[in-house]
Parts: sequence; C-alpha cells; structure tokens
Amino acid sequence: MSEEKPKVNQVVMIGAGPAALTAAVYTTREDIQTLLFEKGVIGGLAAITDWVDNYPGFAKGIAGLELAEALRLQAERFGAQIELGEVMGLKCEGDHIKLDTTSGDILAETVLIATGSDYKKINVPGEKEFYARGVHYCATCDGAFYRDKRLVVVGGGNSAVQEAIFLTRFATKIDLLVRSKMRASDVLQKELEKHKDKITVHLGTTTDEIVGEDGKVTKVVGTDTATGKKVEFATDGVFIFVGLMPNTQFLKDSQVELDEVGLIKTNTSLETTMPGVFAAGDVRSGATMQIASAVGEGATAALMIRKHIEDKHQTHEMHSVPATY
Amino acid sequence: MAKDITIFTTNTCGYCSMVKRYLQSKGMTYQEVNLDTNPERQKEALELSGALTVPVTVVTKDDDSKEVVVGFNLAKLAPAVA
Repeated sequence: MSEEKPKVNQVVMIGAGPAALTAAVYTTREDIQTLLFEKGVIGGLAAITDWVDNYPGFAKGIAGLELAEALRLQAERFGAQIELGEVMGLKCEGDHIKLDTTSGDILAETVLIATGSDYKKINVPGEKEFYARGVHYCATCDGAFYRDKRLVVVGGGNSAVQEAIFLTRFATKIDLLVRSKMRASDVLQKELEKHKDKITVHLGTTTDEIVGEDGKVTKVVGTDTATGKKVEFATDGVFIFVGLMPNTQFLKDSQVELDEVGLIKTNTSLETTMPGVFAAGDVRSGATMQIASAVGEGATAALMIRKHIEDKHQTHEMHSVPATY
Repeated sequence: MAKDITIFTTNTCGYCSMVKRYLQSKGMTYQEVNLDTNPERQKEALELSGALTVPVTVVTKDDDSKEVVVGFNLAKLAPAVA
C-alpha cells in the first residue's frame, strides 16, 4: 500500500494583518494557493485602532475595523483561506518548511511571517496587578467602561494621542503623561488641541506606579523630570501606548535571525535567514510601523514569493530532465 | 455542548468581531449584548468576567453551568463551546 503524500501548501502566511492580507491578494490572484494563520484579530493592530487618517485612498479617513474588514474580504474574494489558530514554530524539512500549529503540523513551500507587533508594557508596579481591571492597551475594546470617568493615557506617539482623542467620547477628563516630548504627528497634535477641554498634556512626566484600592485603580504616581518631584494623578483607569513589541517569540528556536530588539532580519528581497521564509510589515527589522508601508511590503513579499516558487520549480524541472550534451 | 452563548461586545471592538466570526464558522448561534447600545449591562459583564473589557463570552452548558471566556482566546473559547 502506498503512503498518502502529505499536502504541501504553496504559501503559508503567519498573521493576517495588512501586510499578510495584501500579500494574499497578490498571491491568490496569481493562483498561488495561500493559507493564513491568525491567532488574534484579523487586520492586526489596524483593526483595533479607532481611526486611520493616513492610509491613502480614504479622503475622510477610515475606521480601523472597517479597513481590516475590507482587506479581509478582498483577500478572500480571490481565494485566500484564513484559519483561526496559532503557529508555535517552524523548521526546514527536506525541500519544505514544516510549521507546528494548533491545527497540527503543516507543510509549506514558502512562508511569510507578518505577525506584526503588540503594544509594549511599561513594567511598573500595579500594571500587571490591574491588567484589564483598570490597566488597558486597547481603547476601542475597553474605553466604553469609562463613561463619565477620569483616565490617564501614557505615551506621546501617534497611537497614544489618537487613542486619547478616541477616549474623550467616554471620559470626562484625561491626563496624557508623556515621558519626554511629544512624538505624535503635527496633524494629531493640532487635533489634540481641539480636545484641551478634556485632555491635559503633561510633558516630561514619567509613569512610576499605578495605585489602587479594593481592586480598583485610584491614581498614577509619576515624576516631573524637570523638577524631580513626585506627581500624582487621580484616575479610574490607565491606557498605555508606549511603542511596539514584535511578535517573534515563536521564532526563538528557528533559523530565522532576529535583530537586537527582536525584529526579523531580511535581505532586499524580504527573505529571512531561513530559505523560503519571508517577512513583511511591523515585524520586520527596518519597518516604519505604518499601515501603508506594511501594505507595500506585503505586495513586495508576494512578488518575491512568486519568484521563489518559480525558481524552485524550474530547478526541479532542470534536475528531472536528463542532460544532453 | 453549549445550550446558550452570549457575547458582550462594543461597536469598535475588533476582538469581538473575531469571537463572532469563530462561532459563525462553527455554525453556532449566539446572543449579542452590545454595551454601546446597552450601557446599563456593563455591570453584568464586569460581574461575570471580573474585567473591564470586551469581548466577554458566556457559555451556558447543558447542565446549566456557565463558562466565561474573556477576550478572543481561542485556547479557552474552542473547548468552552465544543
């Protein structure tokens, strides 16, 4: 009895954010069979961002969730399959790449890693203790619990400002604690000005401790870096947006090389140090952490994947034809 | 087996969409409590989950026991509704 050959997927994409969904639009339109694995939310961080104003093509901006949904529908229209599950590791197996997933082992000719990033923790006392009970990293998920309450938002980048503005629809007062100076875009800073009745910006203010009583957050203790004095902010909750942490923990035992902050190193073809494995979007070393860039990298990766598959098949054909001299 | 599934959601929550998508992919029906349109039920969601977050999925089993899954956590959600 002959053993059944295991199925080999042409491309497996790990993650289903803007980079992978764009790559999937390109690969499936080339009739390359494409399977995506997503363990979190389809659309990635874009899907949990309240409003996206800097993605080209939407004159009035677009809700992050709506953009994510449109990207998903477009990829699925051409035949991309999205599986809800997790990839725990990957290794070379002969000519293929073997992925250890929650649906069992699967094989692929090529892999695209587009797992993106998550919001960083600030590692201060109280952060872990009050997680989801007063300390949050997703305004669009948890903001509704703070109607008519006071909030502290930590961070001075685009995400912190954007989400602080979003939270004004619920909170009565927001203290925005910025460790050094504001890094958000000029447009967002101007927008922030329009909400100064609710949002007070505290530049040069560190967040040192989140304090609570009876299981509820009551205040944030920080330091005014100019004077060195302790400062306190009474609050019912804290939202933290202080930068991104790449989702690459699952690669620690793989051949995929990471840089010093855990982002994936690639060459100019977006191929990683593991042959046949590509990376795109926020998880790639050198990424600009923009949706528009992720989409561009997704398209580039798809074209490189197509070339890789074509080259591989050509090599196989050359080797299977007896040489004539 | 799940006798009843109720999901507490909000309009803007991406993870809520994922829970709904997962249940739909398994052919399961559910009731949705949108906390943007029913803010008076926030306290109920908090009491069930102990957390100020959505999605909160409450699975009532055949023996009327309840299992609560906070967030989009497939490792907990899949066995809870199986």
